[in-house]
Amino acid sequence: MPDQSFEFRLERMFAEPPAAPDADYFALRVLERLDRGWAARRFVIGVMGVLGGLIGGFEILGTGALGQLTAAVGRSNDYLSQHVSGALAGALAPAGLYVDPQAIWLAGALAIVAAGFGLARLVREI
Amino acid sequence: MAVRDKLVSAHDLDLVALGATGDRAAFGELVRRHGSAVRGLLRRMGADAASADDVAQDAFLAAFEQIAEFRGEGAFRTWVSRIAARLYVRRWRREARADLLADGADEEAPHPGPGADARIDLDDALKTLSPAERVCVSLCYGAGLSHAEAAAALNAPLGTVKSHVKRGLDKLRSRLSPDGDGGQRRQVGA
Repeated sequence: MPDQSFEFRLERMFAEPPAAPDADYFALRVLERLDRGWAARRFVIGVMGVLGGLIGGFEILGTGALGQLTAAVGRSNDYLSQHVSGALAGALAPAGLYVDPQAIWLAGALAIVAAGFGLARLVREI
Repeated sequence: MAVRDKLVSAHDLDLVALGATGDRAAFGELVRRHGSAVRGLLRRMGADAASADDVAQDAFLAAFEQIAEFRGEGAFRTWVSRIAARLYVRRWRREARADLLADGADEEAPHPGPGADARIDLDDALKTLSPAERVCVSLCYGAGLSHAEAAAALNAPLGTVKSHVKRGLDKLRSRLSPDGDGGQRRQVGA
């Protein structure tokens, strides 16, 4: 099959890359363009995030949701102080440990942060 | 320095995997390795040096965006060459040269120049083809596209692409060494 052998030969010839002494410079230019593109993208995302945040913030303030949220936080704080702290204090009292309500808040916040890290790690692994 | 050495000795697939995680240095090594081949293909398709560099850069940027889609079935070079070839064809068509693909529109090939008698290799031989033949042959034998894929990329009828490829092959066969001992062989005229 002379035709096929010629076609294989042609493919081989195409596959032989011509020498380019500026390969490093070319790669550098591609990476520079890549970085410029990502910088622009990050800037646009940042600006959109700030705008979205501002709009959302004003919307929340406009609907009076902030007041409701403050009241809800106050109620939950009261509940936590009265029930959870009381229960923990009761449970830990025999061991002679003192439970500060603020420590419960702090522990809860740390647990949320740890869960966030765990979730981020899980997403990265997947 | 050790990191760079590690990248230089890494396999393409490992670099692709690193690139998929956003590792620019690994992707840069891929560009350094295969940039010349991609630019060479584009020049063989008929692009001038500046256009070939522009399109090759665009192709690598597109490859970085789509790198997660590269499954490693073929070589990375082939994959990125196909992206580049398609980008070049899009530009080529946009520059209103697509009408050259019409049947019977074979313009006279550019003059091969004084090297015709002295030095014949693939690059010189390709210059004897019409632009349409050159693009079609390069798409099929350089970028590894099938005739149907080339026709789709060119938005041209399959039969037209096939006839351009056939005419191009005939011309190349007659230009390249007839005894079949390697197209890159230098022929020195009398």
